[in-house]
Amino acid sequence: MAIASAAAESLTQGTPETTENDLQPFFVFHKASSRKSDKKPTGTGKTRRRIDLSPSSPNKTEKSEPDKAGERDEHCNEHLRTEAFELVWSKINSTIKEILRGINTNVFNEIHQWVLESFNAIQSFGTPGFIEATRSFPIVTDATSKLLFTGMVLTRNMEFVDDLLTFEDLGLFLRSNGCHVANLSSLDFSAKSGIGGCLRGLLRQFLKATFYEADISILASWYREQENHNTPVVVIIDDMERCCGSVLSDFILMLSEWVVKIPIILLMGVATTLNAPRNLLPSNVLQHLCPSKFILGSPAERMDAVVEAVLVKQCSGFSVGHKVAVFLKNYFLNQDGTLTSFIRALKIACAQHFSMEPLSFILGGLLVEEKQKGEKRGLQPEVELKYTSQLSSYARNQMAEQNGKSLVHGFSELRRLHKCWSTVVLCLYEAGKCNKIRLLDLLCEALNPDLYTSRASNNHVVLEKDVGVPMATDRSIRRKYSTLRKGGFIGQIVRKVRDLPALMLYQLLKSWEKTTVDVLEIHEKVKDLQSLLRFEDGKLKPNVDDISKKHSSRSPLNMEKESKEVNEKAAALIDCLVRDYLRPIECIPLHEIFCFKNVEKLQLALIGDPRRRIQVDLLEFHKILQCGCCSKSGNVLLPSMHDTSIMYTLAQEHGDLINLHDWFQSFKTVVLHPSSKGKHKSKQSPNPKKRKCTHDSENKGEASIQARFCRAVTELQITGLLRMPSRRRPDCVQRVAFGL
Amino acid sequence: MEINNGVEDELEEEEFGFSRNYFLAKELGGSGKKSTRKLSDIGLVDEQELRAAASNIEPKHEKEIVALMNSYKSLYPKWVFELRCGFGLLMYGFGSKKSLIEDFASTALTEYSVVVINGYLQTINVKQVVISLAEVLADQLRTKRANTSGNLSKQPFNSRSMDDLLAFLNGSQTQDKDCFICIVVHNIDGPGLRDPETQQYLSQIAACSCIRIIASIDHVNSALLWDKKMVHTQFNWCWYHVPTFAPYRVEGMFFPMILAHGSTAQTAKTAAIVLQSLTPNAQSVFRVLAEHQLSHPDEEGMPINDLYTICRERFLVSSQVTLNSHLTEFKDHELVKTRRHSDGQDCLYIPLTAEALVKLLAEISQ
Repeated sequence: MAIASAAAESLTQGTPETTENDLQPFFVFHKASSRKSDKKPTGTGKTRRRIDLSPSSPNKTEKSEPDKAGERDEHCNEHLRTEAFELVWSKINSTIKEILRGINTNVFNEIHQWVLESFNAIQSFGTPGFIEATRSFPIVTDATSKLLFTGMVLTRNMEFVDDLLTFEDLGLFLRSNGCHVANLSSLDFSAKSGIGGCLRGLLRQFLKATFYEADISILASWYREQENHNTPVVVIIDDMERCCGSVLSDFILMLSEWVVKIPIILLMGVATTLNAPRNLLPSNVLQHLCPSKFILGSPAERMDAVVEAVLVKQCSGFSVGHKVAVFLKNYFLNQDGTLTSFIRALKIACAQHFSMEPLSFILGGLLVEEKQKGEKRGLQPEVELKYTSQLSSYARNQMAEQNGKSLVHGFSELRRLHKCWSTVVLCLYEAGKCNKIRLLDLLCEALNPDLYTSRASNNHVVLEKDVGVPMATDRSIRRKYSTLRKGGFIGQIVRKVRDLPALMLYQLLKSWEKTTVDVLEIHEKVKDLQSLLRFEDGKLKPNVDDISKKHSSRSPLNMEKESKEVNEKAAALIDCLVRDYLRPIECIPLHEIFCFKNVEKLQLALIGDPRRRIQVDLLEFHKILQCGCCSKSGNVLLPSMHDTSIMYTLAQEHGDLINLHDWFQSFKTVVLHPSSKGKHKSKQSPNPKKRKCTHDSENKGEASIQARFCRAVTELQITGLLRMPSRRRPDCVQRVAFGL
Repeated sequence: MEINNGVEDELEEEEFGFSRNYFLAKELGGSGKKSTRKLSDIGLVDEQELRAAASNIEPKHEKEIVALMNSYKSLYPKWVFELRCGFGLLMYGFGSKKSLIEDFASTALTEYSVVVINGYLQTINVKQVVISLAEVLADQLRTKRANTSGNLSKQPFNSRSMDDLLAFLNGSQTQDKDCFICIVVHNIDGPGLRDPETQQYLSQIAACSCIRIIASIDHVNSALLWDKKMVHTQFNWCWYHVPTFAPYRVEGMFFPMILAHGSTAQTAKTAAIVLQSLTPNAQSVFRVLAEHQLSHPDEEGMPINDLYTICRERFLVSSQVTLNSHLTEFKDHELVKTRRHSDGQDCLYIPLTAEALVKLLAEISQ
């Protein structure tokens, strides 16, 4: 109720007096209550809020008569779901990190090797004696000893966000290999804080202390101390192009002076080309650099690897539905193009899933169970049952009676089916690699339940509406392969398999063999096919035992024909796999527990669109407020409407400049006169006839209207939809947004 | 493919539509008979009357707005869940979201400490905010394990550097993931927070492991304040569209009323707020000027040299440069203006009436 009274209070405006706190720049609103310490759900006030948590939550009747046990269940459930989210997300997150680290391993090793070599080179200039080294000024001997070894790490990615983690990992990797490492970013190289900023950053990271007067000699004496020397000192700057050029130059000049005392090796992330340093730094600085080049994996590569681990192999059991996958793909392609944003989108999807799906906590249980096999899941089967009956897919399939056993069976069945699905997707991906098909595209198609049902149901109907299969001769093939009937990536892949040269086919079968090793039924089929081909004298031959019986002569022509036959068989195999096993998760019972499908929720949480939304709020406010008075008006402006809304609607009729006088008059017309004339009036000046009220009340009304006008203008200014009058045009405000 | 094309078409159409609208609007402004009416033709009422009327505007749709606010209550558990998951909440939509967020904080976040930042104010010292955040956190940790405070209070927070403080907020003093402080930032796009440096600090604060952020924005272009690093890895926003249609009562206080005479006139109240955020020396400089204006009501203003001499005598400034920096600050907030004296030199005056000035002086001397 507090909010109601607060809102009412703020509405009445009778008390313009603001509270003390409103004018404090900041204040402590409240401190954590002591209830925090006991984790057990006891307070009813706390649980009450959590009741109507999910849209698909239990029966309405239960809600209307608040039952304490039910509430406690609810709260317990929420607690479990929070835990489950943490489990699942930390699993996904660590998997992603592992994958990315794996992709970078080679480059990291290369860099480490180079660091060691550079360090040896610096050492070979001669190490300073104790007295020399403890002096607080640099040693300068000759030009070569002033060289700063610099590794340019090409990120092949304009978006530096994706590489923040990479450089962090690189730091950890080098540290674990015995280097001193400091990670700096462009923020440390700002013109404002100057060279002191980056030095302080260095000192903070190496010495773990803050110095107000940063001086490199502190670093030098630190390096001389105890066991610090004899290890290279690596400084990583993750986004070199965004640094302030002059500060970076000073930094490099300074390091080069001191390089004999402190063997510093620089690593700089470069997003564009190797020319970048040349654009940023003057030549007298460049000559101190001794550069080497390293190249990181491309974003597309990383994307595929992440999708494979998280969404196809499903490290955590969490998965997404077809629409969500398509949305994620489009978001990646159109919105942002960074892996970071993709991962964030996935995290939001995951959080939304756990906050909405009451049964999702089972996922956490299963994950734990997987970790410590044999240990019992800590959930009450009755609770599970209560919720399970709500699951639509479960009801639809009417799998046996609802008891704990069938549920467990359901889970294992779901897992088995899904394992098959992911195996087939990976097989397809292997085959599609030579066609440069992206896994994300393939995933979207493989998750499409419509395609699955059309594949399954009308196996024999040839669909004429083909995309990408224009040749008439293809029709017979299409009839043969269900997958070809619809175009798309799977169709492309099957066709590709048919045309694969023998050697590549052989390799493909090898990789299939590896991929399918966990799924016996598929594995055997692949094995069978593999036995038809053998590798001999550097050439591929169909297995003689099988085929020679049919063909007595072994002319090259025949050979080709035979290998084509193997191609056909491979294509038939993958086609059959697609038909039998590529069952999207949304077509499997109980999938609601594991699969997030609510694409609208995800989109709203992920992409705020203030520019459009705030305008729509103003123009269609009655849809949100749902008041009786304004919704029927159609396009006509009513005096009962929200003032700012009236003003903004009126503003739509103006050009980029709005004359305040005109605007005020049309506002006044709308406010004073009921609808009948409404909008048409707005552009004309008010009719003098209508001002025949008594002078006194008119004046009062006038003041109030002017005040309302002022407030509406202020509110539009706060939303940024208006720019205030300039000196040149004191009577006009400027519109900022045009169209939604 | 089809989907792709569809989306592209849509995008293109959107972009095209946008530019078309812009040019249509331009054209409309140019071709149509340009209205040259003056604001003064309206017959403006007296400013005092206007302000009185402004504080008495009859609210519309009161009932519906309260119902709308109440309808957001069902989202509270979800918001708490997302805060726990490590997201920040960003509220947008038309209407003041101040009472909504504060209601959320007072009912659903009772287990966590909450610090509120009023971003709609003109000046906010982020360092001070971080210090008090650190104090709250230290407090919380201390009560948690009463005896093992050990290394916590080795140095008072207000003498530590920003990096140290951020490191403390990001620290792993506690394994408990549920131990965090919520910051509520009203108008994170507000005038006092809009500069890039402050936004950088805010994002760094938001990224700390012991901090969760709940913020509101009102400006349609607020998203331009942040780069991808801030959005994806630091703030980690979950957007919520929660229009309230509640009046921007406090938020609008600092905007001039467009129909008030000389629309930039400040009330004593807003001036006092600005002044209180300045250093004592700056306040004293302002006082010198104000007292001069009160004692010489007929003069056009105070020559800068006179002001400098007096301020030096009273050890308020040490050089012309420091005085100028104070004056720039005053001018930026329109506390002080310059005009040409009849004898030709520039002089300073405060654009307030004598009564307002007296009231203002009384207020800042408290």
